[in-house]
Order: sequence, then structure tokens, then C-alpha cells
Amino acid sequence: MTTNKETILETSGLTKKLGGKPVVKDVNLRIGRGDIYGFLGPNGAGKTTTIRMLLGLAKPTRGSIRIFGKDISKDRLAILRSVGSLVEYPSYYGHLNAIENLEAVRRLLTVPKNRIDEVLSVVRLTKDAKRPVKGYSLGMKQRLGIATALLGNPELLVLDEPTNGLDPAGILEIRELIKSLPKSHGVTILISSHLLSEIEQMATRVGIIAKGSLIYEDRIEKLRERSQGHIHLGVSEPEEAWKLLSASGVKASLVEGKLTVAEKNNAAIAAIVARLVGERHQVYRVEEEKVSLESIFLDMTGVEGSL
Amino acid sequence: MMLRIMSVEFLKLRRKLVWLLVLLGPLGVVALQAVNFGLRYDYLTKQYADDLWGGLIDNVSMLMLPTLFIGLTILASMTAGIDHQMNTWKQTLALPVNRASIFAGKFAVTAILLLCSSTLLVPFTLLLGFLLDFGFEELPLADLAMTVYYPFLAIMPFIALQVWLSVAMHNQALPLTVGIIGMIAGMFASQFPDWMPWKWPSLINDRDMPLYSVGAGLTLGLIVMLLGMCQFVRKDVR
Repeated sequence: MTTNKETILETSGLTKKLGGKPVVKDVNLRIGRGDIYGFLGPNGAGKTTTIRMLLGLAKPTRGSIRIFGKDISKDRLAILRSVGSLVEYPSYYGHLNAIENLEAVRRLLTVPKNRIDEVLSVVRLTKDAKRPVKGYSLGMKQRLGIATALLGNPELLVLDEPTNGLDPAGILEIRELIKSLPKSHGVTILISSHLLSEIEQMATRVGIIAKGSLIYEDRIEKLRERSQGHIHLGVSEPEEAWKLLSASGVKASLVEGKLTVAEKNNAAIAAIVARLVGERHQVYRVEEEKVSLESIFLDMTGVEGSL
Repeated sequence: MMLRIMSVEFLKLRRKLVWLLVLLGPLGVVALQAVNFGLRYDYLTKQYADDLWGGLIDNVSMLMLPTLFIGLTILASMTAGIDHQMNTWKQTLALPVNRASIFAGKFAVTAILLLCSSTLLVPFTLLLGFLLDFGFEELPLADLAMTVYYPFLAIMPFIALQVWLSVAMHNQALPLTVGIIGMIAGMFASQFPDWMPWKWPSLINDRDMPLYSVGAGLTLGLIVMLLGMCQFVRKDVR
């Protein structure tokens, strides 16, 4: 359970106003060691603004941020020493090659030179390391961005939309890379995205932000439980069938001629079907309807939040 | 820390042709004077007969001032532009480096590039003097050094201002415009009152003390640099 883990990052009442308008409102995040924390929200919900504040790039209007138990407004440099980041679109010097790009960051981090080769091989860019970065594909630039973030052996990795604009193969590649990091390097990861499908395959915990407020924060399994489906029964006389099932203590509902039962386990469904058939109902279909995580997500964030 | 930041700044300038620019400035000034003296050799050597080297240095200095103004504008814009181009500010500023040093680094790099450019003017001018057959006996090294380095020091407020503007704004059109206006103002500076900073690089003042201009330049330069630094440290990075 995450609650027993050491807290790596904690914000309380984090608020940012831009031009008088609150972009981030009272956000309380909590990330434990070893988590892959999926930070979800539609575009413009305040994800990037929150992340900028976590990295000390922007100052909160109100609220506090503690990372590794230190306050960012006091110990910014000490915290940043152990944080690697990739904020929206990769930052790179196009006229320099990958090694020079990493060297520019390495000199400021003062880590040994061989880290450059190490991170290049982690993101598999060793072969292209001597080409100017402006000739890279978006996926390669994104991987270079992750390599840069890994350069200082960070304890916390903050990745803002790292799969933005990538093709499916690129997304898969980045996802596998990110999933492997906590295992192989023991880092904690905060990763933001506007696509739930992308996060759900790697995150252990999720936080959902909409219109600047954090509206959900829990383990991914909790979110999955919500997506458990229902069984629909297609029968000849739904009304009769519903009465029969209700009378025999099965929780069932009838909406617009559609019979739905709450039971999910195989034996129970088999018993219900046997019962209906025994009473000479004709059973046409037994279907499972799953509520997708996406639609739960949409319900929470509101469709007008535009995805 | 400062040294590391500067080494990174110079690393980022690789393949940006910035050194070519550093070379072209003084080369252009001396080349134009070569044309000037080449075409009017007899007239000018008669006019400066008692001090040939002094005449050459005066002419070089006249062209050097506008070149300094425009050169520092372009150099400041280039050193800042590298980080604006792909918005690498957010990457750099999320590193464990203090912001004031990053700003100081940009200022120092711009000043050093301009200093290299100014320094090149010394051998180039001497070479032209030799080619014009002005003689080896009394090399005017002290004069030349003063002509080159005093204006460099007196122009500090403008280096600081251009670095500030170029770093603060993503769009370099405004900083470049301000720089060009500065250059034009600098050309008429001899008619300005003494308190106008545009006049200081010309080293002309009522007291006839070039060092006053240098002192004023260094002081205001430091003030403008600190103001820019304060603003840079406070602002949110986009």
C-alpha cells in the first residue's frame, strides 16, 4: 500500500493565479517512493502549470510544495539536484549533437562524463549520438529529453506529456522505457498526460485534475474497479423475466426493455440463465458491457473539458 | 559555478558562426579604413603628417563606435537566442543552478565576445599601419589600447541592457530595434550633454577626462546588469 511508503512529493493547497484567474486551485498531491504517478487531465486543466511549480520554474500564488521533505521555496537547488525533468515538448539545442546536448547539462550537474554514454544507451540513441539533433525524429528528440532527465541519477523523474505527438510505436517504446525505470533505477516517476489509456498501462497511482482542481487521487486499481461491467440479458419477455428474477432475490434492473443484472461471477450468471430457461423464457443474448476507463474519465472531467 | 556556466555557454555557441562575427567586426572596420587611406593616401598622409599613426587610430575609432553598438546588440541577441529557439530555458532553470548566475553568465559571455572583437582591432590596425608604411619606430601601443579598451568599458550599460532585453523577450525584434536606435544615437553622441550614456563610449566630456566616461559606464553597466538580474530571478519561466 502506498500509504505506508515514504512520501517523496507533497503539495498542500497549491494555487496559481494567472492574470487574476486561478489556473490551479488548492491541489494536494501526494506521491510515495517508487510510485509511477499518472497525472491526468484534459488539455488546459492545469497539469503543466502544476509541474512548472513543482520544478520551481513558476512560483505558486498560494500553498506549499515539499519534495524529499524539503520546501521548494527554501531548498530549490538541493531538491533540483535529485529531480530530472522533461516539460512539454523536448528542449534541445538543434545545432548540437546528442552528446553535446547532454554535455551542456552534465557540466551544470557535475556528474561524471561516462553518465552520457550510460543514458544514451538507456534510451538507445548511442548510434545516432553524433548527428545534430535538429535532424532527429520527434521520438528520438523525446528520448533524448528523457536521457537528459536521467543524466543526474534523479530520485524523482517529472515527465510532462512525454508521449505527446508520437506515433503508436514511439508511444509503446517510451512506455516500456518508463515502466522499466522504477525497477532498474529505483526512481519515482510523475508522468502527466491527457490520455488515460496511455497512463493506465504504466501508472500505479493516478491523480485527475480538471479545471485546476484535483478531483481524484488513488491507486489505479480503485479506478479500474469502477470500470467493472454489467451483464445484459436479451430475453423474449423482459418484463416477466425481471419480475421472476426480482422475486427470486436476484438484483436486476429493467431500463427501456433492457434487462441488466449486477451479478458478475460465472456461476451466478449460469444459475440465472438456467432459471430463466426453466421458466420457458427464451434467452437470446447474454452480453457483458464494460464501462471503459475513458468514459469514467470523461464523466469526471466533463466532456466540455475538450479532449 | 560561474566557470561551469560559462563553459556551457561557449559549448552552446559551437557551429553558430558567432566567432566569425567576432572576427568580421574589426576586420570590417580596418578594411574600410584601408579603402579610405588607400584612395586618399596622399591627402591623408599630408593632413596627418606629424602623427600618421594618430590619424589612423582616430579614423579607426570613428568607425569602431557604431560597430561596437551594433556588434553588442547582435552578440547579446545570439547568446540569448540559443535558449529561446527551442525554449531551453525551462530545461536549464530546472537544473540545480541559481538563476542569477545564469543571467550573469549570459552577460559575461556577451562581454567576452565583444572584448575579443575589440582586441582583434589592435593587430588589425597595426597591420594596416605597416602596409601603409607608417613605420615601425614608434608603435602607438598605449594609444591604441586606450582607443580600443576605454570605449569597451564605457559601453557596459548597453551590453547589460541588450542582454537583459534579449533574455527577457522571446521575440528578438524589439531588442534588435533598441540596439539599432542605440547605434544611430551613438553616431550623434558628440553633440549630446555629458550625462547621456550614448556619449560615454566616445570618451568625450567637458572635463576632457576619458576616465570619467569609463567610470560612468562601468557604474551604470553594473546597475543595469543587477536590475536585469533581479527581474530574471523573479520571473516565471514559460
